[in-house]
Amino acid sequence: MNAPASPVLDIRNLTKKFGEFTALDNLTLSLRRGQILGFIGPNGAGKTTTIKILVGAMRPTSGTATIAGADCVRDAWRIKRLVGYMPDSFGAYDNMRVREYLDFFGAAFGIPRGARSKRIDEVLETTGSGWMQDRYVEALSHGMKQRIGVARTLLHDPEMLILDEPANGLDPQARIEMRDLLLKLAGMGKTLIVTSHILPELSRICDVVAIITQGKLRAFGTLDQIMRDLRQKRTFEIQLCGPAQVEAAAAAVREALPVDEREGVKAHATESLVRFDTAKNDTELAAILAALVGRRIDVSQFREIPKDLEDAFLSVTRREAPAA
Amino acid sequence: MIPVLRREFLGILRSPRALAALLAAAVAFSLLILARWPAGGIVDLSGTGSRGAFLVFAAALLGGVLLLVPAFPASSIVRERNQGTLLLLFNSPIPPIGIYAGKFLGVLAFAGLVLCTTLPAAAAVYAMGGVDPWRQIALLYAVILVVAILSIAIGLLVSTRATSPDAAVRITYGLVFAVAFLTLCPHALTRGTSGLFATIADWLRRLSPLPVVMHLVGQGGAVGGGLLEKDSGVWQFLAGGLGLAAVLAVATILQLDHRLFDRSRDAGKITDDRSLWVRIVRRLVFLVDPQRRKAGIPFYLNPIMVKEFRTRRFGRFHWLLRLAAGCAVVSLLMTLAATNGTMDWGVETIGGLLVILQIALVVLLTPSLAAGLIASERERGGWSLLRSTTLPGWRIATGKLTSVAWTMLLVLAATLPGYLVMTTIKPTMWNQVMLALVSVLLAVAMTLALSAAIGAFHSRTAAATVTVYVVLMILYLGPLVIWAFRGDPFGEQVVRWALSITPLGAALSVIGMPGFTQYELIPIAWRIAGAICVASLIVYALQVWRLLRPE
Ligand SMILES: Nc1ncnc2c1ncn2[C@@H]1O[C@H](COP(=O)(O)OP(=O)(O)O)[C@@H](O)[C@H]1O
Ligand SMILES: [Mg+2]
Repeated sequence: MNAPASPVLDIRNLTKKFGEFTALDNLTLSLRRGQILGFIGPNGAGKTTTIKILVGAMRPTSGTATIAGADCVRDAWRIKRLVGYMPDSFGAYDNMRVREYLDFFGAAFGIPRGARSKRIDEVLETTGSGWMQDRYVEALSHGMKQRIGVARTLLHDPEMLILDEPANGLDPQARIEMRDLLLKLAGMGKTLIVTSHILPELSRICDVVAIITQGKLRAFGTLDQIMRDLRQKRTFEIQLCGPAQVEAAAAAVREALPVDEREGVKAHATESLVRFDTAKNDTELAAILAALVGRRIDVSQFREIPKDLEDAFLSVTRREAPAA
Repeated sequence: MIPVLRREFLGILRSPRALAALLAAAVAFSLLILARWPAGGIVDLSGTGSRGAFLVFAAALLGGVLLLVPAFPASSIVRERNQGTLLLLFNSPIPPIGIYAGKFLGVLAFAGLVLCTTLPAAAAVYAMGGVDPWRQIALLYAVILVVAILSIAIGLLVSTRATSPDAAVRITYGLVFAVAFLTLCPHALTRGTSGLFATIADWLRRLSPLPVVMHLVGQGGAVGGGLLEKDSGVWQFLAGGLGLAAVLAVATILQLDHRLFDRSRDAGKITDDRSLWVRIVRRLVFLVDPQRRKAGIPFYLNPIMVKEFRTRRFGRFHWLLRLAAGCAVVSLLMTLAATNGTMDWGVETIGGLLVILQIALVVLLTPSLAAGLIASERERGGWSLLRSTTLPGWRIATGKLTSVAWTMLLVLAATLPGYLVMTTIKPTMWNQVMLALVSVLLAVAMTLALSAAIGAFHSRTAAATVTVYVVLMILYLGPLVIWAFRGDPFGEQVVRWALSITPLGAALSVIGMPGFTQYELIPIAWRIAGAICVASLIVYALQVWRLLRPE
């Protein structure tokens, strides 16, 4: 998977304006074959806009995007073969059973009838939805519809799947199933772009994450990279042997920290804990520990609290929120 | 109730459709008066000129209300239910009767507003002289108001039962037009006879506003081959209309409860999985069973066309077969009735009725199938899926058109037996029948193209359906109204011109329908229909192309 190959997705300086409003601002990113890209940002960030440009439903104001060498503007025809696209709305038809629905889209992609029927069985099997093939599409529950939506994108066996908010509105169980399904698809060698406005929904399965807010790319890379980039401040916890020295320990930490970080030092007497956020590096942190020990404070543990992606996400979105 | 009323009224006022309706009413009625205003401003005391003006005014008023009003109540409840806001209303302290009253009065207020824009025209008609302000103008407004109330009551009842706004719109227009026009038919057939059926027919006739309005404008008996009689029945109509509206209102309010939301989803039981017994019965009843498992779409058929056939409720094969059977029976019965001499109609009249039956089917069915071809995809999110497939635009466009064209051709084919019997009785009519059939086919093409083109500019199926119906009703009924008033106030030339807009007049005239024979319409009406058809197809194609383009 880590074989250095030319990127299958290459977005360069992509900008989209609706009149005066800039929905997408100079977006640049790339993705290798077989990876899952988590495209994450709050509502209105510009995720759907990006995706619509990728599948050729919108024209960028400037910039380029290519998928497997096909330009998203000029090679719209090839893009359709290369990409399986699931929009954020399902697109149900009345009085149509799941199998007829898939048959229709298979026919729309020009799959011959014999091959199509076999292919429908395959995608139903892949998405674990064979049992609902005779149900009416409009009567399916939301989770079932999402599976059928994914099944539909798989019909013409595209190289890349672009799924807009596939886990949106699913219950926790269905969300786990959706994650498993996405992993399964990646295992089949598909490249996936999956958007979400909720970070933890996807954080665990993505190889690469792009965080976007207000049309701008805020962070891009593997989960670990992003964590490191975003985490200017780390959180530490000092576990003491008893509640008696909590205040003293807090005071010592405050002394060692710069003025703007002092406020963040919290003493928790009940848990015998002191917690603080700091941008200091490890050497400086060693000095703080030494100072504590020097004051005869009984430290049982001095540890960093691992932040999860959600905190990173919140810190990005908060940082970039409108200045108002 | 007040908040519901306010929201409903403002909601209507904010829609571009309503604005267009108001403007159209204001402009049309001003033009009407300008056109009829006596030259030199000299009032004609005998009032012959102003009677003509009053007649046109009344017809426009009735037509306007019948065309504009039903659309608003029809989509009102079902749309709110589908959007989920109806549930919110239910959970507010407003009782069902309050919700109903709010919606009812909201639409009525809008109808009142439209009527207000016609008041200057009414004043002008009065100023021309010869028209009684109370016994004619005021009563006319009362009748029109009752028509509006009845339309709203029908629309709201349909809206509580329908599953989608466009279905509600279709059914409501169908019912409103049935009340306005079809109620006259039994009476026309039983006129002069007595007995239970004749009495019922007479009662039915009183529900139609048409004879009443005709009577008010002083044309009773003179129009439509004596279809409408002298006996006014204004008060019966007012009382009957209000009574029916009240009954419908009660029925609607009784429907407004949890049942609106408590509908079980179709489990999708498939015939192939049922018992042998059920399978046999369904085979016999349906011939083409809609619940059977379908084979895949073959390569030689346009997938879009097959999809259209499969997804619509009406116009799937089992429906078409039933309709075809119904049409065949009706057309045969009519012909038989004529040959046995039970009705003293000539073969020409039967032919004319057949033509009218066919064109009525075309005008009623085509828009319901064609208006939403594009709009429904855009409304439900199918469009973005379609454009992400490799299906070329021209196949999408043609697949959608052919799905309707085939349906309509099948429906028309069902009415052919009637013509066959006709030509066996009177073989000399063969040529005329052929010409009439070509006219009807042109009507299909023109109606289909026009419906598809107009509908493609909407993103909501219900709105598309309403617009298309209004346009087609004006196009097809307008010339007939003008024809009905041939001589006074419309001159021969105007009638001829009006009749050539659609192929209906041409078909009636070649078949020899009494009253139409003096018009020579064939090349011109065909050319106009062809031109409209081609222009509409171009517009439709351009719009599909535009919608498929990236934004
Ligand atoms: N067709 C459009 N015209 C004008 N503004 C649009 C259009 N589509 C999206 N926007 C705006 O662009 C921004 C990004 O939208 P979108 O890409 O849909 O966000 P999301 O990340 O939630 O998918 C939003 O502020 C939205 O209002
Ligand atoms: Mg979105």
